[in-house]
Amino acid sequence: MTALHEQGAGQQESVRIGLAATGLSKAFGGVRAVHDATVAFHHGKINALIGPNGSGKTTFFNCVTGMIKPDSGTVTYYGADITGKAPHRIARAGVGRSFQLCRIFPRMTALENVLAAVRPPSKTRLLASAHHHGDVARARELLSRVGIEHLEGAEARALSYGQQKLLELAGVLMADPDTIMLDEPAGGVNPALIERIAGLVRSLNAEGKTFIVVEHNMELVMSLSDHVVVFDRGSQISEGPPSVVQNDPRVLEAYLGV
Amino acid sequence: MPSASDRTRGSGLTTALKIVGILALAAAVLSFPSFAANPFILSVGVVIMSYAVLATGWNFVGGFTGYMSLGHAAYSGLGGYATALLIIESGINPWLALVLGALLTAVIAVPVGIASLRVRGASFVIVSIAFVLILQLVFQSWGEFTGGSNGLRVPRPFGPDVLRPEQHERFFYLHAAVLAIALLTWWLIDRSRFGIGLKAIREDEDKAQALGIPTFNYKLVAFVVSAFFTAVGGGLYALWFGFLDPIFQFSILIGSYMVLMSLLGGIRSLFGPMLGALVVGYSVEFFKNEYGDTQFHLVATGLLLGLVVLFMPDGVLPALAALLRRFRPQESSIREVTQAELAEQRNSDPITQGAKR
Ligand SMILES: Nc1ncnc2c1ncn2[C@@H]1O[C@H](COP(=O)(O)OP(=O)(O)OP(=O)(O)O)[C@@H](O)[C@H]1O
Ligand SMILES: [Mg+2]
Repeated sequence: MTALHEQGAGQQESVRIGLAATGLSKAFGGVRAVHDATVAFHHGKINALIGPNGSGKTTFFNCVTGMIKPDSGTVTYYGADITGKAPHRIARAGVGRSFQLCRIFPRMTALENVLAAVRPPSKTRLLASAHHHGDVARARELLSRVGIEHLEGAEARALSYGQQKLLELAGVLMADPDTIMLDEPAGGVNPALIERIAGLVRSLNAEGKTFIVVEHNMELVMSLSDHVVVFDRGSQISEGPPSVVQNDPRVLEAYLGV
Repeated sequence: MPSASDRTRGSGLTTALKIVGILALAAAVLSFPSFAANPFILSVGVVIMSYAVLATGWNFVGGFTGYMSLGHAAYSGLGGYATALLIIESGINPWLALVLGALLTAVIAVPVGIASLRVRGASFVIVSIAFVLILQLVFQSWGEFTGGSNGLRVPRPFGPDVLRPEQHERFFYLHAAVLAIALLTWWLIDRSRFGIGLKAIREDEDKAQALGIPTFNYKLVAFVVSAFFTAVGGGLYALWFGFLDPIFQFSILIGSYMVLMSLLGGIRSLFGPMLGALVVGYSVEFFKNEYGDTQFHLVATGLLLGLVVLFMPDGVLPALAALLRRFRPQESSIREVTQAELAEQRNSDPITQGAKR
């Protein structure tokens, strides 16, 4: 136990905070979806955000990425206040995200889905062809990285759910974010694909991407993440390395619903 | 990869076919006046071309972003009145008035767009209708400036020595030129990064924004461009028809026609609205001629709109294209099968297969 603590302390010294929230709250009518949440995610790490169903994880994601305006509290990204900023501004600041129920552009091809995330170098380049050579090459590279390059010409709605999840990830990567927020990447997909997604997250993390992953698959969370934040009833009840969080009585209580 | 080279060969053939098709279409349009049996037929041609310009103008916002404006008559009406009033009040050249009038309308569209593009779906439709009804009231009651309900006579750009059939012919070609510019602009946007962003908004606006697309600005630009082309259409029509009546100019019916024509022809395709204009324009004129100016065409419009939305939500053109694809030459269909099989084989990679739900 002491060894663990020391290890924790040693880590803390080198920890740099990327995305963080202070006193963040959001209520829907009487439902306090997120309530006074204070959270800090570690730069360069694979952070996990876990918690029982309805504990406010998705709402937290939405508040942080500007999809929903929080009622109170602040969100910072590497120290800069991004509270209530428009989603595209937060995206352009370097935060990419996926959605819990996988969102893609159904009537566009897989390749176009990825190309849609291109950030033109300047406004004047907006009228340049979407099928710009460099962009297409990069989009194909990403499609092949997630393993669906053979489907580039298919309409996204024709892909299987697992393929759509991979496509969504490729789109997120096209925008070249520094921080990638995934809402249940393993939800509704088979074990083999979960492994593929986990492998992608690991290799992208090795290349310097910071991850914040909401996930219910505990085995995956424990094997994948460096830092775990636990939510219950809209706020953080525990945080730390997976091994520590796993044995935290408050976490067990939240999950067992005592 | 064999499929990749096949695709390039296939697209080369498609491009050639497209160019031939466009040339044939242009030739057909341009030769119409010489085939038109009488001035009446020619005038129907001008009406249809005018509809084609309006529908293509509407499709800059409706087709790209999926925001269905039922009140686009606001912009054709403003374009018409602005052109007429600029000529009457300041005596400038009618063609300059046409361009200035459209630019002025585009400027007016900026605040309207800022206000109305904040809401989506049905709310947007209602706001668009509200705006056109407000304009109708204003232009009806502001008598000393707009002519009010008595209407406004628009000075003719061509002198009285130009006879009626000649007038029709000239306006037919003028409309064709404007239509060509509108189509070219639509095509340019369609293939651009801006266009792919707009289409992403149509598909899933929140997702588009989460990917970093400044959706509001994109929508606004598309909206203003749409207002501009619709206004040019309205202005040109005013110069041809020579008379403006606020009830007709700012009517929901005209806006509904634009929607119907675009939906009919297909809002995702370049020539869709134009094809829809041909069908709707021809039917409207046919019914008017057969049964007089009754409310019958209203019922027919409603029925047609219902049928299209129910059975061909992608429009007639895409439905035809899908039908054609079935009758493609054998060679290409074999290739399609092989390609599909190829994908299938790769698919049977258990990883993505099992995930199918
Ligand atoms: N748009 C909304 N309107 C009303 N209530 C909402 C809305 N979004 C979320 N909620 C409520 O807020 C609470 C938190 O929901 P949220 O989706 O954030 O939980 P979650 O932790 O992501 O759950 P899960 O693990 O099931 O995805 C729930 O009680 C939910 O019903
Ligand atoms: Mg959730």
